[in-house]
Amino acid sequence: MRSGSQATDGDIVRAVLAGDRERYAQLVERYRDRYARYATRMLGSVDAAEDAVQDAFVRAYDQLAQCKEPDKFVGWFFLILRNRCFAERRRNRTSASLEAANDVAAVDRADGGAEAAERRRALQLALLELTADQREVFVLKHVEGLSYGEIAERLSTSIPSLKMRMHRAYDKLREQLRDHT
Amino acid sequence: MSGHELHPLVKQLLDGDITLADLPAELRAEGEAALRLLAGVDRTDVSMPAVTWRVMAKLERRRRRFLPWLLAPALAIAAALVIWLVPRTPAPASLVTVRFVLVAPDAKQVSLAGTFNHWDLQATPLVRAGATGVWTATLTLPAGQHQYAFVVDGARWVPDPGAPAIDDGFGRRNSVLTL
Repeated sequence: MRSGSQATDGDIVRAVLAGDRERYAQLVERYRDRYARYATRMLGSVDAAEDAVQDAFVRAYDQLAQCKEPDKFVGWFFLILRNRCFAERRRNRTSASLEAANDVAAVDRADGGAEAAERRRALQLALLELTADQREVFVLKHVEGLSYGEIAERLSTSIPSLKMRMHRAYDKLREQLRDHT
Repeated sequence: MSGHELHPLVKQLLDGDITLADLPAELRAEGEAALRLLAGVDRTDVSMPAVTWRVMAKLERRRRRFLPWLLAPALAIAAALVIWLVPRTPAPASLVTVRFVLVAPDAKQVSLAGTFNHWDLQATPLVRAGATGVWTATLTLPAGQHQYAFVVDGARWVPDPGAPAIDDGFGRRNSVLTL
């Protein structure tokens, strides 16, 4: 067995399943921030995203025995978080819009620049008008910086299907942001 | 092409498949406007340092079935424990009878949760001795090390001030009894 700092995801998953449940904190520590930005942009609110990430980790713990490939824990966890984000968006769309504007405003106060601030705020609100599918592909490509190939692998879908979603998203965003381009 | 839709070549530009220079001259303005749209993308990192302890505390709380430990400080309880190891004759050599005592005059109920009862708050209530505020419970436990805490009024986890304690990994202290 490798030491704690070098342990693979598979090592930790197997240790947790064997009863060393406190090792699960290592997985949380390892991946919580990696997906924090994805959840925040999907939900439009840091608070909602933090709840979603927390719930996803708890749910993953509960279902850990169903993680068929422990060394691919992170991909499996991402799908749980994704489901949680989609469910949350269906439940709570309006309040997310208001918080999104506030969160972006907070960032921009730090960054400075009224024009950039307005552009960010407008885009953040426009993203919330996309369907969850469209928004997700936009976030993964333009916020997370993944290629279509990487997104297709993560979501188990095809590149043409992703491009179709994205191109519809571009059209919607352009319509929403007509006054900002 | 509808006025609401971007030209396919401009979408390729946004996808990063081509550059602005690849666009025909008549599409350059549309391409530049579309790129300004992407300039508003917020790629600021987001950090959630509290998630780790929140997740682990939730798992632990659910396991122990107790109210949030953040609210658990011992309040104004004058607590003291005296443990008597009372050898009682019929007990096999591997078992030891232990008396737990807590002084908690203001408590309405006190229980004992520990490794020996799976941290079940209901399993081991202490009995109040008259009006003195002294609560007691006598258990017969297997030899070895046990961790435990008193739970006052179902919510306040009180470590035993008279026994050694260890960190439980989630910011609280468990008392340790070695038999």
